[in-house]
Amino acid sequence: MSMSVTLTVNRVPHTVQLDDPRVTLLDLLRERLDLTGTKKGCDRGQCGACTILLDGRRVNSCLALAISHDGAEIQTIEGLAEGGALHPVQAAFIAHDAFQCGFCTPGQIMSAIGLIDEGQAGEDPERVREGMSGNLCRCGAYRGITEAVIEATRSMAEDAQEKAA
Amino acid sequence: MSTIWLQPKTLPEALAMLAADPALTPFAGGTDLYPAQAARFAWGEALPEAILDLGALPEFWGIAADATQWRIGAGATWAQLRDAALPAEFDVLRAASCQVGGAQIQNRGTIGGNLCNASPAADGVPPLLALDAAVELASLRGTRTLPLGKFLLGNRQTERAPDELLTAVLVPHRAGDLRSGFEKLGARHYLVISIVMVAAMVRMEAGRIAEAAIAVGACSAVAQRLPALEAALRGSRPGEVAVTPGQLDHLAPIDDARATGAYRREAALVLVRRLLARLALPEALVA
Repeated sequence: MSMSVTLTVNRVPHTVQLDDPRVTLLDLLRERLDLTGTKKGCDRGQCGACTILLDGRRVNSCLALAISHDGAEIQTIEGLAEGGALHPVQAAFIAHDAFQCGFCTPGQIMSAIGLIDEGQAGEDPERVREGMSGNLCRCGAYRGITEAVIEATRSMAEDAQEKAA
Repeated sequence: MSTIWLQPKTLPEALAMLAADPALTPFAGGTDLYPAQAARFAWGEALPEAILDLGALPEFWGIAADATQWRIGAGATWAQLRDAALPAEFDVLRAASCQVGGAQIQNRGTIGGNLCNASPAADGVPPLLALDAAVELASLRGTRTLPLGKFLLGNRQTERAPDELLTAVLVPHRAGDLRSGFEKLGARHYLVISIVMVAAMVRMEAGRIAEAAIAVGACSAVAQRLPALEAALRGSRPGEVAVTPGQLDHLAPIDDARATGAYRREAALVLVRRLLARLALPEALVA
């Protein structure tokens, strides 16, 4: 059974032939498109290391079949920085030391972008912790992660206001 | 590879595919199916050979009300249920939806999948039992509606025939002063499989409980309502009737990796008391 899927990944369209419909979005990104920034932690939807934005919403790419998402827009960690400028969430993670080993960081950052876009948590640390609960950090950098998400929420809101003004 | 993957574009097409090959595994959000299959694969079992992907069915999505009831499409995600503008009796389902996995799971997992997988720890079941929900099952043979309590038969067992799809969850409209809530106990605060959960909906009238519906999950193969407690509460003032262990006697909690049966029984009693106390708070009754 031969089939193909067309995905726009970080604004670039890709058409990929699949020899099996059970290829996950995670494996497609890593193995077929060589976008290895998205990490495979548990491969069963528990750790969040594989978080990407699928049509603007954060999902675990290890639980999504690539073939199901023909035509989808995908954003991964590789698509965030523009030119030499880091995304505000990336910058905030560095400023707040929001990692130790770094393995969970791409998923944390993509999840944080999804959370900020959802606009539900604001700058309330407890709501941020709840909203980020789908991303585990086994080094235990949660304190820095929460601070970074709150600072990025604030700086992105200020940027948006400046742009609007 | 001989794997089959079918993605019907309409419900009649999906039902025809399923009638032709009842071995097809219906696939929606994938949040239960894929981890379960991956775990089996790790133990040397084969992955499913035939997948019926329901992701492109327009009939599956959306939450709408008609004259008599709410109709929640089986493909409604936890995020949709969490964010939908639903009346107060749905607070119980909204609270459960906020506590299923993390946001990534909530964006993908569906209520229909939760019911069809029929885990004893399914967070969607106690709230829907408390709301007297029914499920709609469709096949080429026709459509039938079953109360949720009749649909769920046991651990991972349901009334769904191999050629049927669960298409919607139906919840009757209610009027009056309604309060509902959900208590979940896990090994940590978030992202956890329930050890015990309790869902309750009460209707107040002139300071008394006119109607109470209380369901306990993860303490029996299928979540159970507490009819003796519900009867005792009817007509009482909040706090007037004590919740007793005897009212939970028909639960059959098991020992497993998450907790012992005795702990679950004790925790269920505490959670029922805690939830009823919370629903009885003056601000909850006035809000």
